[in-house]
Amino acid sequence: MRAIRAIAVNTFREAIRDRILYLFIGFAIVMVISTKLFGMLTVGDEAKIVKDIGLAAMQFFSMLIAVMMSMLLISREVDNRTVFNILAKPVRRWQFVLGKYLGLVAIVAANLLLITLVLVVMVLIYTGQFDPMLVFAAAMTMLEMSVLAAFATLFAVLTRPILGSLMTLAMFVVGHMSADLWMLTRQLPGTFTRAVIATVYYLVPNLERFNFRTEVVHDLPIPPAAVGWAVVYASACVGVLLFLAALRFQTKDLK
Amino acid sequence: MRARTLVSLVVVGALLAVAVAAEVELGKIPREDPLGRELLYLPSPEMLKIMSLGNPGLAADILYLWSIQYYSGFKPDERFLYLETIYNLITDLDPLYFDVYRIGALIMGIQTGGDQAQLKKSVRRLFDKGLENLPESWQLAEAAAWDLFMRFQDQEAALHYAEIAAARPDASGRIKRMVGVWRDKGRVWTIDDSIEYWKRAADDAEDEYDRTMCASHLYDALVARDRNTLEAVLATYSERHGSCAESWGELIEAGLIREVPLDLVGKPYGIESSDCTIVAFKKIRDL
Repeated sequence: MRAIRAIAVNTFREAIRDRILYLFIGFAIVMVISTKLFGMLTVGDEAKIVKDIGLAAMQFFSMLIAVMMSMLLISREVDNRTVFNILAKPVRRWQFVLGKYLGLVAIVAANLLLITLVLVVMVLIYTGQFDPMLVFAAAMTMLEMSVLAAFATLFAVLTRPILGSLMTLAMFVVGHMSADLWMLTRQLPGTFTRAVIATVYYLVPNLERFNFRTEVVHDLPIPPAAVGWAVVYASACVGVLLFLAALRFQTKDLK
Repeated sequence: MRARTLVSLVVVGALLAVAVAAEVELGKIPREDPLGRELLYLPSPEMLKIMSLGNPGLAADILYLWSIQYYSGFKPDERFLYLETIYNLITDLDPLYFDVYRIGALIMGIQTGGDQAQLKKSVRRLFDKGLENLPESWQLAEAAAWDLFMRFQDQEAALHYAEIAAARPDASGRIKRMVGVWRDKGRVWTIDDSIEYWKRAADDAEDEYDRTMCASHLYDALVARDRNTLEAVLATYSERHGSCAESWGELIEAGLIREVPLDLVGKPYGIESSDCTIVAFKKIRDL
């Protein structure tokens, strides 16, 4: 446990020294603040637009950070040969993978926290009210990002940094489209084709399960069961992906 | 070194100046820009939903902001191209977007050119879609009622939407009064129905002002009913005696009525003998 924590903390420290992180966070915050400009262009409820753009910025930049940072995590250690120093100590390979993953999640969480804070203040300025549902939306985005970070970790172990980045990005896009994949199974004739598509649907995590932005923006009721099952779903997905990553890293030739 | 830097700066500055000048000149050249060109490449709502990667609300916002800017450049007598399509697209992306139904219908209403009957149908379709997607919004139904009443002078449709608004939870007392007034003016119900409605409205009033206003309408409805009865009695008296009665006492003596008729607050009606009609002395503060 200590080894995992030490690797996670180190990963977090290493990442916050990276300028690219500040670039993304800076962009995200500027985007959230600039929602005021968009609000001025509308006729009607400005707060809706502020929330929509803010929540989308939160998701988009967290995704970018997860994708970009994950690639630097393991590949940098391997390329700089620092991985050997770590693994020479009483650290198992799966602990290394898990530590790297938790470090990445901590970076994304810190970024999300910052953007959420700015968004909450912006909405407070607009409406004069604190909207706790924005914090809930951020928490659900974090859940989505934890799954994406697990994908990023798996691809970081499996392949080269750029390809891994692209594959993580592709998983993000496909993860948001998988509901349409499910719709397709109903429209297609033939049991076999439908079974194949249904299998693909269940293999690719449905990231829309963590999307409660519409409910948050329109103050709609959120079924507690949907939140509970989303947590279970994310945990299971992360578990499977990290298990596969650890399994691959166990036998990976690092030379 | 300094000379090289200076030359570099001059070259960059010169190229920048050329680029700016070219841009200015290009802007002056008239280009063929057919109306609605920008609208031809609008994707379907399904495609936009997918492209938004879980942010259909944001896609709806962007389209809505764009539509406001795009259509504010038109003149009222022009036919607004694809207006209904655009607002359908936005409301498909975010069916709960109240402002889009409201402002979309408003922009449609501004248009004075084209087939007005078709335009009214488009406005109604947009409102109907909104009312279906926002089943608790009495505000949208009220907006629909006023738009149909003011812009299209369609009292029947206006009343239809006002009734929808009044039936929705938490509807303001103002809406219920609006329904009653429009039904009275449109003569779509009997006086007895009107009296019954205003009695109930006064009993259910949400505050003193609302109660007074409902009582005022109830007063008018009761006067309308009493006018029918009493003016018939006055006419009978005039036929028998050759002139209109001066007071209720003459009618009681003639056996046409048993007692002095009173209004809602217990004050006697008056008789205007010059045209043989009744007079009601309504004072809001008494209601």
